[in-house]
Amino acid sequence: MQVFVQTLVGGLGFGAIYALVAMGFSIVYRTMGLVNFAHGDIVMVGAFIAATSYMSSRLPFALAVLISIALTAAIGLVIERVLRPLEHRDLDLMLIGTIGFGIVLEALATLVWGATGRAVPIPVGASPVDIAGIFVQPYDLLIIALAGVAAAGVWFLLARTKTGAAMQAVAADYEAATAVGINAGRSNAMAFAIGAGLAALAGSLAGPVLYVNESLGATMGISGFAAAILGGFGNIPGAIVGGLAFGLLSGFSAGYFHGDSDLVTFVAFAIVVMIRPTGIFGESTVNRA
Amino acid sequence: MKRRLVLIAAALAAGYALPYRLAAYPMQVADIAIIFALLAIGLHLTLGIAGQINLAQVAFFGAAAYTTALLTTHAGFGFWPAAVLGVLAALAAGVVAGIPALRVQSHYLGIVGLGLAIAFLDLVSNSTLTGGSDGVSGIPPPPLFGLDLSSQYLYYYLEAVALILGICFAAFITRTRLGRRLRAMRDDQLAAASIGAEVPYLRIIAFALGGLYGGVAGVLYAGLIGFVAPASVSISVMFFVLAMVMIGGRHSLAGCVIGALVLTAARELLLNVAAYAQLGYGLVVVATVILAPDGLAGLPGKILPALRRGIGSGKVARYLPQPAAEPEPEPAPVAAPAAAPARAEPMAGPREPEDTTPALRAEGITRRFRGVTALDDVSLTIRAGDIYGIVGPNGSGKTTLFNLISGLHPPHAGRIVIFGHDVAGARPYYISRLGVARTFQNLRLFHRLDTRDNILAACDRTRTRWSWRYLVWPPAVLRGERELRSAAAQALGRFGLTGVSRLIPTSLPYGTQRRIEIARAMAARPRLLLLDEPAAGLNPSEIGELAGIIRDIRRGGVTVVLIEHNMGLVMSLCDRVAVFDAGRPIAEGPPRAVANDPAVVSAYLGDADIFDVPAQAGDGDARR
Repeated sequence: MQVFVQTLVGGLGFGAIYALVAMGFSIVYRTMGLVNFAHGDIVMVGAFIAATSYMSSRLPFALAVLISIALTAAIGLVIERVLRPLEHRDLDLMLIGTIGFGIVLEALATLVWGATGRAVPIPVGASPVDIAGIFVQPYDLLIIALAGVAAAGVWFLLARTKTGAAMQAVAADYEAATAVGINAGRSNAMAFAIGAGLAALAGSLAGPVLYVNESLGATMGISGFAAAILGGFGNIPGAIVGGLAFGLLSGFSAGYFHGDSDLVTFVAFAIVVMIRPTGIFGESTVNRA
Repeated sequence: MKRRLVLIAAALAAGYALPYRLAAYPMQVADIAIIFALLAIGLHLTLGIAGQINLAQVAFFGAAAYTTALLTTHAGFGFWPAAVLGVLAALAAGVVAGIPALRVQSHYLGIVGLGLAIAFLDLVSNSTLTGGSDGVSGIPPPPLFGLDLSSQYLYYYLEAVALILGICFAAFITRTRLGRRLRAMRDDQLAAASIGAEVPYLRIIAFALGGLYGGVAGVLYAGLIGFVAPASVSISVMFFVLAMVMIGGRHSLAGCVIGALVLTAARELLLNVAAYAQLGYGLVVVATVILAPDGLAGLPGKILPALRRGIGSGKVARYLPQPAAEPEPEPAPVAAPAAAPARAEPMAGPREPEDTTPALRAEGITRRFRGVTALDDVSLTIRAGDIYGIVGPNGSGKTTLFNLISGLHPPHAGRIVIFGHDVAGARPYYISRLGVARTFQNLRLFHRLDTRDNILAACDRTRTRWSWRYLVWPPAVLRGERELRSAAAQALGRFGLTGVSRLIPTSLPYGTQRRIEIARAMAARPRLLLLDEPAAGLNPSEIGELAGIIRDIRRGGVTVVLIEHNMGLVMSLCDRVAVFDAGRPIAEGPPRAVANDPAVVSAYLGDADIFDVPAQAGDGDARR
C-alpha cells in the first residue's frame, strides 16, 4: 500500500509535468493546426534558464521560474514570427520549419551552456512529509499544485476572456475569424507564447527531479507529445488526462519492469496509437470536396 | 536532354574515379554519404512523391541493420541471406508505419510516425537481445566473388551500384503509372480517388517504398561499419535525413541525392565546430521552408521563371482562340476515339438504346453533417443516356449529392444504385471503376502534374495490384505506358488541349482549366459523368463551347448529371431537371414543366422570368 501510494504520487508528479508539456503542444495545435516540433527543445531551454538563474545567479526558485517563462515565451514569439508566412498556407512545411528551429535551439543550448548538465537541488523541503501514514515528497505535491494552477489559468483564458474567444474563433474558422476583424497573427503569436511559457514551466519544474542537459528536450518533448496523443492532440482536458496517464504508466512500469520500463511504456503507446490514432478525446475530421 | 546526358556521364566518371583520389577516412565518409543518399531517396518517395509525412524512415533503416546484425552474429546466417531478410524486415516496418496513414494525415501522421520511430529506438536501446546501448558488433563484411569488401574502397563500388540501381528504380516508378498515381494522390487525394486511385493501398505502398530504400541503406550500413547501435537510429539522424530531403528539394530525386551527399560531407568537414554546424544546418532548414520550399532543386526554376512563363503563356494565347472542341455537327469523328478504348473495357461499353437500367437510382438517401441535414430522404432516378440538371440555391445539398454518389461520404440512410450496383458506403475508387467520373466545383486538378499527366493519371484504369510488375517484369510497365500515352494523346486532342499538354494547369486560363478537368474525367472512360458547376467562371463563348462538349459527350453514350446555376445552359441542355431546396428535391421533370411548377416558382425562384434569361457568363466564381 505504502509503495503503491508513493508510486502513485510520484507518477502523478511526473504526469503533471507531462501534462504541462502536452498542454503547450495542444494550445498551439488547436489554435493553428500546427504541431510544434521545437516544443521539447523549448522545454529544455526553459529548464536551463531556470537552472542557471536559480543556481548561478542565486535567485529564488519562483523568480527563476518566472524569468524562464518570460524568456521562452519570447522565443516562442520569434518562432511564430519567422514562420508566419506559411501560416494557413502550408502547414506541412511549417512543421518542418519547427523541426529546423528545434535543431537551432539544441545547438544554441550546447553553445551557451556547454555539454555538461546541471543537477538542480530541490527547492522545497527534501524530506518526505507524513500524510495519514503515507510518506510523500513535498516537491511532488508542489508540481501537481502548480500544474493545476496553470491548467486553470489556460482554461480561464480560453473560456472567459476576449483574447481566448478570439483564439478559439481563429481555430474554428480562420477565414470567418479574420473577416470579423480578429487579428489571426496576434492570436497565433499568443498561442505560441503561452505554449512556450507552459514548456518553460514544465522544464523548470522538471529540473530538480531530472538532470538538466541538452537531451532533456528529446525526453520531455517525446513524453509530452505521447501524452498529448493519448489524450487527443489539441484537446486541453485531454492533454491533462493524457499527461497524468502517461506519468502513471511510466511510474508503475518503472516499478514493475525496472530496466525495460521505457520499452513497456512505448510499446503500450505504439499500440494505442495504432488502434486509435486520434487519441482518447480526439475527433476525426471530414473531407470536403 | 543532351545536357542532362552529359551531366550524368560526368557524374558517373567522377564517381568511378573518386576512390583513386581519396584517403581512407574520406573514403569511409563517401561510403556513408551513399547510404544517406539511399535513405534520402526513400524519404523522397514517401514525402516528396506521395505526400505522406514520414518521420519513421530511420526506423526502417534500423530494422534492416539490426536484422542483418542479429542474424549474422547470433543465428549463424551468411551475410546475403541475412541482408535479404533485413530488407524484408524494413519493408514490413514500412507497411506497419503506413497503417496509421489510412486513418490520419499530415501532422498527425508525422506525430504517429515519430512515435513509432521512438518506440523502435526504445526497443533496441533497452532490449538485451540487441545489446542495449552498446549495440551489436562483429557483423562480417559481405562476401562477393572473393572480393575483400572489408576495404572501404571496394565497398564503395558495391554501394555505387546499389545507388545507381536505386536512382533508376525511383525514377522509373516516379515517371510511370504508379508514381503518377502517387503524385496525383499527393496533390489532391479526393480527385485522385474519384478517378480510381486506390488511396489506402497507395499510402501503404508509399511507406513500403520508404521501407525498401531504408532497408537497402540499413543492410549496406551494417556491412560497411560491422556494428549497429541505437545512436545510428536516433531521432537526430531522422531529422538529419529530413534536412537533406528538404534542402535538396523533396520533389526532386536529383535534389535529394545531392542534398544527402552535400550535407554528409559538410557535417564531416565541420566536425570540429559541430555545435555551430548544427546551428547552421538548422537555420538553413528554416530558411529553406520559408524562402525556397522546393529546395536547391527549385532554385533554377525560381531564377528563370520570367523566361519560362513567357514561352508558356505565348503558346496559350495563340492557341486559345481556336479551341478544338468542334462543338456542333459531326459527332462521329470526335466521339470515335473515346468510344474505341471504352469498348476494350468490359464495364464501360456503350449501352444499347433499349437498356432500361437507370444510370442512377437514389432511394431515400440522407446525409447529416453534425447538426445539419444536408440531404433529407432524397429519392431520384436518372435515366441512362440523359443529360440531367440539378439546380437549387447554395447549401441545398447538390454537391453533397455528388459527394455521396462518388463515394466521398457514405450516406447515413438509403440506397444508391449505379447501373444496377448498390454502392452506398462503397469507396470512391470502386465507384470510379463502375464507370462514374466527376468534376469539382472549385477545380481539383493535380497542380504539380502537367496537363498530360493529369489526363494520364485518369487514363490508367488498372488496379493497384497491377504494380507487382514493377518488381517482377518492368518491360510490361513500359509497354503499358505506351498504351496510356496514346490514349492520353487522343483525349488531349479531343478536348483541344494538345498545345498545352506539357504545361502546369494552374498556369493556364480558368476556362482551359475547366476543360482539362472535364477531359480528365472523360479520360477515365465513364458511363456516368457528374459535372459540378462546369460553367462557373466561364465567359459566354466558353459556355457555348461547354454546351457543345456536353452534348458531344452524351452522344458518345455517357449519361451526364449537371449541377449548374446558369439557367440558360440548364434549360437548353437538359432532358430533365431536379430543383433542390433545403436538402430535398421540390420538383422534378422536363425543364419547361419544372420552370412553371408553382412550387418552384413560389418556394425558390419567386419569379418565373428567370428561366427566360439567355446563357450568361458565370457568376464570377473564378478563384484563380
